[in-house]
Amino acid sequence: MWVKDLLDVTGKELRKTVSDVGVLVFFIIVPLLYPLLYAYLYGGEVVREVPVVAVDDCRSTTSREFLRKSDATPDLKIVSYCADMEEARNVLHNHKAYGIIQIPSEFESTLTDGRQATVNLYCDMSGLLYYKALLSGCTMVSLDMNRDIQMVRLSGMSDREKEVMTMPIENEYVTMFNPANGFQAFLIPAVLILVLQQTLVLGVAMMAGTEHERRRKGELILGNEYSNPITVLAGKALAYLLVYGFTATYVLCLVPWFFNMPQLWQLPTLVAFIVPFLLASIFFAISISFFVKDRESCFLLFVFISVPLIFMSGISWPTSNMPAFWKAFAQIFPSTHAVNGFARINTAGALLQDVRYESIALWIQTAVYFMTSLFIYERLYRSDKMPGADFANAMRSRMYKELREAEIDLKVIRRKLKSKL
Amino acid sequence: MSQMKQGFWAIVRREMLRMTSRRLYGLSMFAAPLFCFIFFTTLMNEGLPQSLPAGVVDEDNTTVSRSILRNLDSYQQTEIIKQYASFAEAREAMQRNEIYGFFYIPKGTELKASSQQQPTISIYTNATYLIPSSLLYRDMKTMAVMASAAVGREILIAKGANMDQAMGFLQPIQMDMHPLGNPWLNYNVYLSNTMLPAVLALMILMVTCFSIHTELKDGTAGEWLFMADDNILKAVSAKLFPQTMVFSLMAAIYLVLLYGYLGFPAHNGFWPMLLAAELLILASQGFAVFIASAIPSLRWSLSLCTLWGVLSIPISGFSFPVMGMPAPLQALSYLFPLRYYFLIYVDQALNGIPMAYSAWFYTALLLFCILPLVDISLLRKAAHEYTYLP
Repeated sequence: MWVKDLLDVTGKELRKTVSDVGVLVFFIIVPLLYPLLYAYLYGGEVVREVPVVAVDDCRSTTSREFLRKSDATPDLKIVSYCADMEEARNVLHNHKAYGIIQIPSEFESTLTDGRQATVNLYCDMSGLLYYKALLSGCTMVSLDMNRDIQMVRLSGMSDREKEVMTMPIENEYVTMFNPANGFQAFLIPAVLILVLQQTLVLGVAMMAGTEHERRRKGELILGNEYSNPITVLAGKALAYLLVYGFTATYVLCLVPWFFNMPQLWQLPTLVAFIVPFLLASIFFAISISFFVKDRESCFLLFVFISVPLIFMSGISWPTSNMPAFWKAFAQIFPSTHAVNGFARINTAGALLQDVRYESIALWIQTAVYFMTSLFIYERLYRSDKMPGADFANAMRSRMYKELREAEIDLKVIRRKLKSKL
Repeated sequence: MSQMKQGFWAIVRREMLRMTSRRLYGLSMFAAPLFCFIFFTTLMNEGLPQSLPAGVVDEDNTTVSRSILRNLDSYQQTEIIKQYASFAEAREAMQRNEIYGFFYIPKGTELKASSQQQPTISIYTNATYLIPSSLLYRDMKTMAVMASAAVGREILIAKGANMDQAMGFLQPIQMDMHPLGNPWLNYNVYLSNTMLPAVLALMILMVTCFSIHTELKDGTAGEWLFMADDNILKAVSAKLFPQTMVFSLMAAIYLVLLYGYLGFPAHNGFWPMLLAAELLILASQGFAVFIASAIPSLRWSLSLCTLWGVLSIPISGFSFPVMGMPAPLQALSYLFPLRYYFLIYVDQALNGIPMAYSAWFYTALLLFCILPLVDISLLRKAAHEYTYLP
């Protein structure tokens, strides 16, 4: 019976998963802990109190006010007041601060003259967040002080008149979907999707590697129990889908909830989007797992690709500015579409019709990778069922047994040799 | 069996045979890093993203609103691709990822501005995509302030002020920003300088651990130790020597790519960075040997090495600064070789300060190199008694 066979394969695959610690680590432990670590790492969202030094060449009431107010912003913290730029640079070189605020000596006199005065900012560019903090902190202070200065100059007008005069058109800024405008809400959705895809690839590849090792030693012959490769493939996929139903629920729904991240998804959209993602990833994993020749090589082959994958998704460097080649190359990975879709469903509250392109792409990938894995399975089965395969296998397992014995003999001989010397 | 050759060079020759006999080594030591080198440097070849797609909702549709939009479109980094009829339409376009942000000019903006009622125009960006969102914000904010200043300037000039006086009045204090070392705010400089060594270090950690433990798994450890006269230090150093050579070649490739071909800032020249890269290779190998000796299981030690390699990317602090992380992770960051490499790069290539300031970071990398001395004897024991457990 077809269905019975399928469920039989599923049951066996599940048992194999549970009994293999290596695979369990990938399917359960890594998805359980890794997202927590990442979310914890980026939990601060932004940097606060970036240490800077001040060089006040003006030493006036206004310059001191500027520095005092900069120190009071949440972005900056003045750790030292230096006599000159040389001293300030020295503090930077000693890694005690990441920026310099320098106020030129003619600062106040220029202001009194009614001309434009300049404050010089120097920023260490080892992190763009330092730059952002220094610029936004000081801009905030200057806008604030500018208004005060203008108010004084406009004495004689009413307060309302002054306000209109200084800012005829007001503007406001709304960072949509990421209220803190921070790292966690922006990067974590991508990390979560990538964790799902990569653990699937690693776990499936590890099982395939084990299988390959056993086949090489003649311990395992495919196609004895089930004649139809489709049944085996579908059964395995069902097993992984069952496991990842739970894993994905935890990773995509609970982890963001633990860390109070934006979660604007609607359940039907999320399910309708994640199921094709999981299916595409499963068949993608099965397809590439055939290149794995032993249990542990999956680490060397597949881990590093996570790093380019996160960039290919366009979550960091915008897709609109990628070279065409990489844009096309990125299409072959389920994560590219899933990251983009999930980020918008989860963080921006998009509906299924808003991520239509991504979800169609995932269904196409599911179909394509199903065909490739089926093709490879067929070939494996055929090679194991060729006439004389049984004999070849028996020979192979005998050879391995003898090799083992010879190795043990060699060890004994060496030990004896050593004790003689 | 013929007499087995012993000694350092015999092991080196044996290791070179092992490396060339499996495609896996070629893929992970050569192809994988090279792929990433090319990927990252070409991906961001624009340096700073240009012409980011943005939209507008112009409910006012007057001379003032149109002049704002025209000016905005002339910015290099912003490209207005579409006008939307309503706020909801623009928001949906953002959710479909067609635009990264939009400008909202409500009805009556010109009327209110000319009758001095202070209207408000709004900037919306999709901060799910942080980089384009921040860049669009910068352009749009400048535009909004300038639009306001234009109106204010006209009022002032009408009242008899000259241009200088008007600007001195509208913006008494202005900021002059000097980004040290990377004045173009080039993202390629910012990311590739750490991403490339990070991938290399990850591969080194994994390959080192894998190649040592494969000897144990395949039962060839006896032969390996025998060739080194049962001296584990000699065995390990001879085994890793050809790998160090290959990784050094890879490091040279990325250094030439970054500082030669792409001309990224290397203010103290090539050599301090080459030294740092060499030390990073040795430190990563040292760390991997330390782990491989401490944990006598291929899978567990390889898992730990992998975790370390991957985690070193965020924890080195080049994208999100270490000072913004929780305290326990700040402390943990000291245990990652890449962290020190990053600090050296900032000092030596980006800022070009005297090497003495980075002495501690070089020393820390050196300490990672000699870390295996602590527990390498365990590896010798394991090599003699080990049985592989899947």
